[in-house]
Amino acid sequence: MTRHEKRVGEMASAWGKAIAVTVICLVSLLKPAAAQGGGELRFCLRTEPKTFDPLKVEDDASAAVRYLTGGVLVRVNRQTQELEPELAQSWKTSKDGRQITFRLRSGILFSDGTNFSASDVAYTMQLLMDPALHSPTGDAFRSGAGNVETKVISPTQISITFSAPVAGLDRLFDQVAILSERSPKKEMAVLGPFMVADYKPGASLLLNRNPNYWKTDEQGRKLPYLDSIRLDIQPNRDVEMLRFKRGELDLINSLDSEYFDKLSATSPQQVHDAGPSLDSEQLWFNEVAKSPIPGYKKNWFRSANFRQAISEAINREDLSRIVFHGHAQPALGPFSPANKFWFNSKLRPQAYSPDAALKALQAEGFRMKNGALKDKDGNEVVFSIITNAGSKIRERMAVLIQDDLQKIGVHVNVVTLDFPSLIERMTQSYDYEAILLGLTNVDLDPNGEMNVWLSSSENHQWNPQQKAPETSWEAEIDRLMRAQASSSDAKKRKEAFDRVQEIAVEQEPFIFLINKNALSAVSKTVHGAAPVILWPQAFWNAERLTVATK
Amino acid sequence: MVRGKIAAHALALVATVLLGGLLSATLVRLAPGFEADVQELDPHLNAASVTALREARRQDHNILQFYLSYMNRAAHGDLGTSLALGQPVRTLLLDRAPLTLRLLATGLALAWVLSLTLALSAAWLRLSIYDTLTTVVSGTFLCIPAAVLALLSVLWNVPGSSAIALIVFPHTYRYARNLLVKAYSQPHVITARAKGLAEPRILFWHVVPVVAPQLLAVAGVSVSMAVGAAIPVEALCGLAGIGQLAWQAALARDLPLLVNITILVTLVTLLANSGADVIGHMVRGQES
Repeated sequence: MTRHEKRVGEMASAWGKAIAVTVICLVSLLKPAAAQGGGELRFCLRTEPKTFDPLKVEDDASAAVRYLTGGVLVRVNRQTQELEPELAQSWKTSKDGRQITFRLRSGILFSDGTNFSASDVAYTMQLLMDPALHSPTGDAFRSGAGNVETKVISPTQISITFSAPVAGLDRLFDQVAILSERSPKKEMAVLGPFMVADYKPGASLLLNRNPNYWKTDEQGRKLPYLDSIRLDIQPNRDVEMLRFKRGELDLINSLDSEYFDKLSATSPQQVHDAGPSLDSEQLWFNEVAKSPIPGYKKNWFRSANFRQAISEAINREDLSRIVFHGHAQPALGPFSPANKFWFNSKLRPQAYSPDAALKALQAEGFRMKNGALKDKDGNEVVFSIITNAGSKIRERMAVLIQDDLQKIGVHVNVVTLDFPSLIERMTQSYDYEAILLGLTNVDLDPNGEMNVWLSSSENHQWNPQQKAPETSWEAEIDRLMRAQASSSDAKKRKEAFDRVQEIAVEQEPFIFLINKNALSAVSKTVHGAAPVILWPQAFWNAERLTVATK
Repeated sequence: MVRGKIAAHALALVATVLLGGLLSATLVRLAPGFEADVQELDPHLNAASVTALREARRQDHNILQFYLSYMNRAAHGDLGTSLALGQPVRTLLLDRAPLTLRLLATGLALAWVLSLTLALSAAWLRLSIYDTLTTVVSGTFLCIPAAVLALLSVLWNVPGSSAIALIVFPHTYRYARNLLVKAYSQPHVITARAKGLAEPRILFWHVVPVVAPQLLAVAGVSVSMAVGAAIPVEALCGLAGIGQLAWQAALARDLPLLVNITILVTLVTLLANSGADVIGHMVRGQES
């Protein structure tokens, strides 16, 4: 090699290194830019938010706004289901479950620039626990009579004392968005990643990035990455789907299985099935003594053997396969296996056996005559299942159940009613025989269902407001639910609730049918999305999402 | 004469509006599910909160009491608060009125332009094939339900006003065509044509004065058709107007909102019809 050749070689090598370094620098420069991305995320709320006051939230749309704008002391990580610190660095619950003490982060500002301190937490809790507020969030803390006491120990430390033990106390703070005591903007001053910037009633809601949001990512970059979120108010799911396909929306939360399959056929990379969710679909019979239905029907419905036989005659696998296109699992009991801690893993799937169901009914005195089942007094077993009009899923489920029960000689009439009429029959006139409805479960803790399981409760749907438990098993459930609610020992609580689940499966006051899968659609332009089974499935990590500029 | 006509219309209008509001309130009150609230199913709510929810609904149990109190408050500018949305009805209506007004104005304008163009060309051309074709087209649109036209506008990504136009157009076209064909067969128009007068002159001097009062009456009716069509169109196209609000209010048995919307729709319909009637009367008065 000549000296010239060597020099050319050195120069080439130097240029090569320079180009490589430049490329690496450019890539490293581009990488954070891509991560910071910004952009606007667009999706739909299916109803108009009823309020922006986080303490008064009662509907899904308002809850979504609260989730995106509200700052909370602790947050249930939707992926791990574990409780994580947010505005509170640490917390301690007293042994009796009545008191919780939070140590707060310092130097945090509300979106309007006012300081955050323990007095804001005290102010929020006093407002929330006002009995006149009648808020679901506040009622979740109310396990006994009496007021809440708040004690501001220092600007970064506060203790909150309740009149009675509150089971799962710390997790309830996931829903409590802290308000500013001093801000003139009231509830519009927020501590969450986004803040309400513009609201066009009935049309859309624009959330802008909160410039004072306190969180940073692992590299120290400020969160959220997004510049804004546009929430279009769109009750029509067909329109929502169409707009997603046109690229006018970036995600659809809680997708129906039918839409999921349609989207899956054209763009499989955009749909996500996170597996069984906490939501269940269930059927129950009217067991209310004063209901205006014939006495012999009440006798059937109040018989555990009758309910078990009906349950056994329903083919849940078919419901999953035909109605949900396989995007659902047969329900095992009151809690879905998706609830990692509280689900009773000893529960087994209900076997589908029309023959066994018929035998059980015959043992109860029912007889099959000319293809129709009759009770011991000769009354033909006919009843109506009511469900809400407009829900294609439930209408199809009811038709399949009708077909299954026909095999054991039970004639079912399917009736659809609009929601207010259905609720009136269910909660006030009790003028129904059986109802098919779903339960949207947001809480992981069984305390969230206290009002469903206590026999004295308004929401004890099959037989509400009992002065004293009318059956021994309901008395047992009452005792177990109260026992788990007053204990701070997680193991003892789990044992008590495991037993509640077993009783519920044995007695079948609710015939649990299906746990729907958590289905969602996320556009290819959205980065960082990892839909989960817990609400709000597709945007639970909104602060870490980015949208590529189109 | 005209003043007397206006006074009679005003009196009939007030009476009809008040009666319409009361009928609407009664129907909503008697509808199943009036006293039920979806919120009652929230398992977090304790007994006291569920009772409070029910009490709030039962406040309007006595319909006459509700209506009298509503009218008293309305006289002072308070239209009440929506049960479902928790916002003042006045704000809700004011926020959404501009969109509905734009939708109606554009839809009606499109419908009338289309109707008159086709009707005039049918009257001018006098070709049976063309007449049959336009009749078949308008007949087809007459048979398609408003909801289907609204969904098609969503599917084809065209403005909701085009759905309103296509819902109203078949009605207005048929009236306009019949009136114009009849007017063009009048002896004085035939004479004018025989004398070789230009078509625009025949139209504006000899035809329009004859058909104007009837067309004005149809225009009044077309406003009420468009208002009726706005409900499915706004609900299905996801347009945040008064029509969508009416749909949501009906589903939620939102008594204060429904009464106000009924009164508003009745008022608009009657005003449009009365306005057309009065103008028609004035036109006829000038002619005679």
